[in-house]
Amino acid sequence: MIVTVTLNPAVDEEFVVPEFRPGGWFRSRNAIRTPGGKGINVSMMLSQLGYESAAMGFLAGFNGAYIRDVLRRERITTNFVHVKGETRTNVYIIDETGHVETGLSEPGPYVSEEAYDRFLRNYQRMLQRTRLLVLGGSLPPGVPQDIYGELIRMAKEHNIPTIVDAAGLPLQSALEAGPTIAKIDHRFMSRVSGISLTSLDNIIKVVSKLHDQGVEWAITSYHVYGDVFFTPKGIYLALADRRSVVSLFATADALITGLIVGAEEGMDVEDRIRFAMACAWEDAMHVEKGFSSRDAIEALMPRVQLERFD
Amino acid sequence: MRIGDLMDKDLTSITENTTLKEAIEILSQHNLTGLPVVDELGALVGFISEKDIIQASLPGYCDYLVGAAFIPDFDQLSEKLRKKGQEPVGKYMTREVIYFSEDDSDLHVALSLIQKGLKMAPVVGKDGVFIGIVSRAHLIEHIMCEEKEN
Repeated sequence: MIVTVTLNPAVDEEFVVPEFRPGGWFRSRNAIRTPGGKGINVSMMLSQLGYESAAMGFLAGFNGAYIRDVLRRERITTNFVHVKGETRTNVYIIDETGHVETGLSEPGPYVSEEAYDRFLRNYQRMLQRTRLLVLGGSLPPGVPQDIYGELIRMAKEHNIPTIVDAAGLPLQSALEAGPTIAKIDHRFMSRVSGISLTSLDNIIKVVSKLHDQGVEWAITSYHVYGDVFFTPKGIYLALADRRSVVSLFATADALITGLIVGAEEGMDVEDRIRFAMACAWEDAMHVEKGFSSRDAIEALMPRVQLERFD
Repeated sequence: MRIGDLMDKDLTSITENTTLKEAIEILSQHNLTGLPVVDELGALVGFISEKDIIQASLPGYCDYLVGAAFIPDFDQLSEKLRKKGQEPVGKYMTREVIYFSEDDSDLHVALSLIQKGLKMAPVVGKDGVFIGIVSRAHLIEHIMCEEKEN
């Protein structure tokens, strides 16, 4: 079973507001409410592509009940620890005219020591039937900053491959544990390495070091519409066409979904990158999270520009 | 229809070592009336319901109770619950659990739940691992939706 861990889920509220600017009063012509958080997004997107997964983490209050209910209707297996308080709401304002996105995020509910212990016991049990683990997103108050490293080490004891997409200290602890695939926040890596990561040469120099820590695949974004993939078969730069992009919201989750599906279907490295990039691109072509269809993703695959560095 | 296709795929469960206090908290937080008890591998080993917990606290009265309104003294119940709170679920859970296989038909499950007077029951996979819950409410919802679609 593919298991996704979202420790700080959210209800994502997307508002489409043409010519949005701070200080004004606007009426949204469209509002979309969906369960969110990186792991949950991956579970929902996997489900769209016909793959089953189980989602786990913490939920609270009315927002938590809403998320649980939507996941149930999508036939996604759930194993959440319920805590006091309220699961956060994240608000995104998309201005299609000015091509600007604005986000506002809450910290999330406090996780008590008892709830954290209960989650670890559930997690340990879930590992018995996990074949791939996806970890991602921010941490709610009360959860230790090094949890991703701990969860990856526990998964490695069961020889379970792990994918992580995080930032800051949680990402650092994850990298120290050596995940199989890491989506690297380039701003964080830039701060840690003390090197500006705007040039391709610098990105390659810094991220290549992660291979030494046991990270098989490392992915980092490049100039908004591209990603650099460090794979066991070489380093690739993949680019999408920026003209068709409407919203970049959740594109990283779509990319990870594509990498998982590519691996599940035995694609070679280049096809896997093309498929993952096409997933991210397709997700970016509309305001709604997720994919229009599998056909729409496959139609974009040949249009992904792929360059290999030797 | 297979029950595996319409069950609630929620894996909320506890182990035999979980305390009654924690079980009560989980029942309350998840708005459930009963919890599957599993081993370290996730295999189903028992089931504990609200009634089992009340029975653990007021063993002498439980057989006469139809609803909570008949409990003579809530102070007595709360004091006994506090005392029992640290005891393990394994001591009071039902070990002879009525459960279903994911391949069982919806009709078979519906009849069994009605005949045995159960509100909900766990569903297990081929390896005996707990994979979901089926409830009377689910089945009624399913029958209602099917009627609408037809």
